[in-house]
Amino acid sequence: MPSAEQYLKPEIVRQIKRLDLRAQFIVKGFLHGLHASPFHGFSVEFSEHRKYTPGDDPKDIDWLIYAKTDKYYVKKFEAETNITGYMMMDLSRSMGYTYQQEMTKFDYSICLAAALCYLMIHQQDPVGLITFDTKIRSCLKPKTRRSHLGDVLSLLANLKPEGETDIAQSIVQVAAMLRHASLIMIFSDLLTEPTAVLDALYRLRHGGHDVILFHVLDEAEVQFPFRGMVELEDPENHRRLSLDADAFRQDYLAEIESFRTLYRRECSQARIDYVPLDTSMQFDRALTEYLVNRASRG
Amino acid sequence: MTFVNFALLSGAGLIVIPIILHLIMRQKPKLLEFPALRFIQKRHDTNQRRLRLRHLLLLLLRAGAIALLALALARPSIKFSSRLGSQESPVAAALIFDAAPHMQYVREKKTRLEAAQEIGSWLLAQLPPESQIAVFDSGMVPQNFDADRGLSKQRIEKLDIAPHPRSLSQIVSEAVVVLKKSDMPVKEIYVFTDLSRASWRADESAKLQDRLHELAGVSLYLIDVGVTEPSNFALGDLHLSQQVVAAGGSVEIQTDISCLGTEGERLVELDLLAPDGKPQKISEQIKRLQPGESQTVDFRLTSLKPGTQQGRVRIVSQDSLVADDVRYFSVAVRPPWPVLVVAQQPTAETAIYLTEAIAPAEMRKRNDARFDCRVIGYGELASQTLDKFAAVCLLDPPGLEPVAWQRLTDYAATGHGVGVFLGRHALPIDAFNSPVAQQLLPGKVKEQVPREEGNTYLAPQNYQHSILKPFAPYSTRTPWSKFPVYRYWRMDDLASDASTVIAYNDGRPALLERTIRAGQVAGHVLMMSTPFSDRVSRRDAWNVLPGSTEIGAWPFLILANQIVSYLVGSGEQQLNYLAGTNSVSLPIDDPTPRRYVLARPDGVSTALAPPEKAELSINGVEQIGNYQVHSAGEPIAPDRGFSVNLSAQVTQLARLTDQELSDIFGPFKPQVARSNDQIVRDVHDSRVGREIYPWLILLFAGLLAVEYLMSNWFYKRE
Repeated sequence: MPSAEQYLKPEIVRQIKRLDLRAQFIVKGFLHGLHASPFHGFSVEFSEHRKYTPGDDPKDIDWLIYAKTDKYYVKKFEAETNITGYMMMDLSRSMGYTYQQEMTKFDYSICLAAALCYLMIHQQDPVGLITFDTKIRSCLKPKTRRSHLGDVLSLLANLKPEGETDIAQSIVQVAAMLRHASLIMIFSDLLTEPTAVLDALYRLRHGGHDVILFHVLDEAEVQFPFRGMVELEDPENHRRLSLDADAFRQDYLAEIESFRTLYRRECSQARIDYVPLDTSMQFDRALTEYLVNRASRG
Repeated sequence: MTFVNFALLSGAGLIVIPIILHLIMRQKPKLLEFPALRFIQKRHDTNQRRLRLRHLLLLLLRAGAIALLALALARPSIKFSSRLGSQESPVAAALIFDAAPHMQYVREKKTRLEAAQEIGSWLLAQLPPESQIAVFDSGMVPQNFDADRGLSKQRIEKLDIAPHPRSLSQIVSEAVVVLKKSDMPVKEIYVFTDLSRASWRADESAKLQDRLHELAGVSLYLIDVGVTEPSNFALGDLHLSQQVVAAGGSVEIQTDISCLGTEGERLVELDLLAPDGKPQKISEQIKRLQPGESQTVDFRLTSLKPGTQQGRVRIVSQDSLVADDVRYFSVAVRPPWPVLVVAQQPTAETAIYLTEAIAPAEMRKRNDARFDCRVIGYGELASQTLDKFAAVCLLDPPGLEPVAWQRLTDYAATGHGVGVFLGRHALPIDAFNSPVAQQLLPGKVKEQVPREEGNTYLAPQNYQHSILKPFAPYSTRTPWSKFPVYRYWRMDDLASDASTVIAYNDGRPALLERTIRAGQVAGHVLMMSTPFSDRVSRRDAWNVLPGSTEIGAWPFLILANQIVSYLVGSGEQQLNYLAGTNSVSLPIDDPTPRRYVLARPDGVSTALAPPEKAELSINGVEQIGNYQVHSAGEPIAPDRGFSVNLSAQVTQLARLTDQELSDIFGPFKPQVARSNDQIVRDVHDSRVGREIYPWLILLFAGLLAVEYLMSNWFYKRE
């Protein structure tokens, strides 16, 4: 774990700052286009009235105004988020993999996490960070103050993905740990047996938590760009396979697509947001797209 | 299979290269870290199997391509014959030349025979040393191989047209017999021909195929020197109405002209040889013909002078085949034959139908009647000298004395003719059935058969007899039933040498024939069972043969002339022959033996051996044209002559179709070559085999293409 002094080192600060700036950039751009929180809480604060237009929810009509003016107005609310967010970061060695991109899956995930953290803190939502490999490794409690963002980013910047992982076990641990319904954002490449992971996710969902699963893969894992004879080694268990990449490409792509389809289907049934990403995607655009989708779902 | 470069086959060993590359020099895989290995693991085994199969396929293709290239460079040949051989191994060869007259067709200033000789000489030089060679042509039958190649060369150079060619089917069969005598492993038959259909006989195909079957493995080549689309005008065979004619008489000469290839107009001319031997044009006709068309050409020779008249019918303008542009003929013109007609009184009435039929009064006046008839009664017969007559006709004879029968028998035995036409006066019948009479007559007279119903008539069946030949073209149209016979004598107990020439429609004989022989000389006896000169106006007339009110008398006229001509023997003398006749016999009635000289068509004269038994026998008449026989020392005018013509069949140019060729040779269908190069190729293919180098190279290219496509497919870029 990095010490307090390490946070003060100029390169760390620069790193955090960069993360901060990057997160701000993403989220501000997002807010400019949205003007509303995608995360609906349990209590709301009145914002304004506007004229009713067909398509608005009739439950939002302010009947008092109608009684006074004989016109339909709907009440607009600004969410006052009181939902607590937890970002779960996979620390497996495979998350540190990249083939030709600048960012590893882990870097990519940190950027996403930083952005979301900034967003939630900006909205006064408490947000915490949980890192895990075979079990939970660290946990930052959710806070809403601005300085908390720095803590989160500092922790993220000093994490190094290594070793094996047990996603299912870690999720189960988190589910047992959290007492109130929270928003759980999981960042992982999910390169493990899906059945146990899905069971764990069901359990998390059963606990009343809102779950967003960011499935982050490397571009090479999605497109399989290798040529000729290659020997591939799993970084976690160090198993090796020799194969003709050209001949294998179609099979691999079919397999990865079926894997993503499985998660997409299962998550959809469990009302979990499944967000398939790869490192070749512009993460700000990917995030924005996701948040817009979520907002439109209401 | 044989190889030109056998050593290059070792190049097939290079297939180890791709195998070594496949086994040892495998590409070293690049080690890469890849976390999502679990997705590969699932399908890895299946994929590896498929990959190995693809590699194996590619390996096989590459190794196959190398082996194929080595095989192609070794230049293998496939031999279709079962026998082994090489281009230079000695062979047993039969060179058969079609020397039929149609091979005289000229193209590019060469007859087809000359073209065949040229190719044959070239081929002879190409045959490997020590080969056994036999040369055949349409007239020559060698029994063994030629002693040396020089002799074969000489034979080819001296080939000449055979006017009467044997069929090539027969010659090939004979060549097989000669080839069977050879121990050479390779046996070849070369037939130089223009593929004219006339040279082959379909009825000999089975025998030919049997012979070829006996000599299994023989290579058969047809060297086609013919013209695929010949153009020619041809005269058919000549038909003369009679070859011996009385002075002043006339002869119908008929032939046909046919056109092959290109349409055109031709002048056909009839020439008669003048006493000085020069042809003089008598008549001419212009004929216009379309390709494939044939037209009849008729000429009539009249007022012929005594002696032998010779001439020719020819197409005036020449074409590529001259052999069929001229036909020759000879006609013997002699004084009228004296015929004695013996009839019942009044002879002027009872003999008039016959005498008018064979020597009409009009013709007697013009002195061009064929017969000089003398009519007498039966009372004068005993005192009449018979020998000065060529034939005697007894009309409605009574029963004659044995002496009279004996005289007539002796008369017939000296080569004269006797005609007996029975009638109502033939009594007593014992006189006809006596042993003396039966020496002459062909059968016994039994009883009269009345046929008042009028439904009995002459019903000739076989028109081959010279008496009936003129009726042959009209055999179904001659109205014999319009000439009923009401009564006739039934004849039975026929002599062993007698035969029925004409029967009634009830099957009984109407006209019987018998030949009385005394040594080489023979005389004819004809006996008719119903009168031949009965007046039709009589109420009790036995028949109406001399004339019907409806039809007229034309069958009777022809029949009477034919019967009397047969009796005098004019129909037996043949003066016009087809090529191939071995010997010609000319009757010599000169009482004083003399020597004769034969002038051949080419002008060469040869002395003939003195005639024996009133007959001059002439051998060696191969030349086509008019032959003349002179008395030795008196070469002023030809005493006698005859003509020899090519059969129209041997100058036909129509070519064999592929189907006909297959029918002739059956499973032994020969290779047909038209040029020297093609002969070389065919012979090489047969002796050494057909080189398959081009096909192997093609296959090699195909394999490379497949290898390229497969490797691209297997390793296609995304």
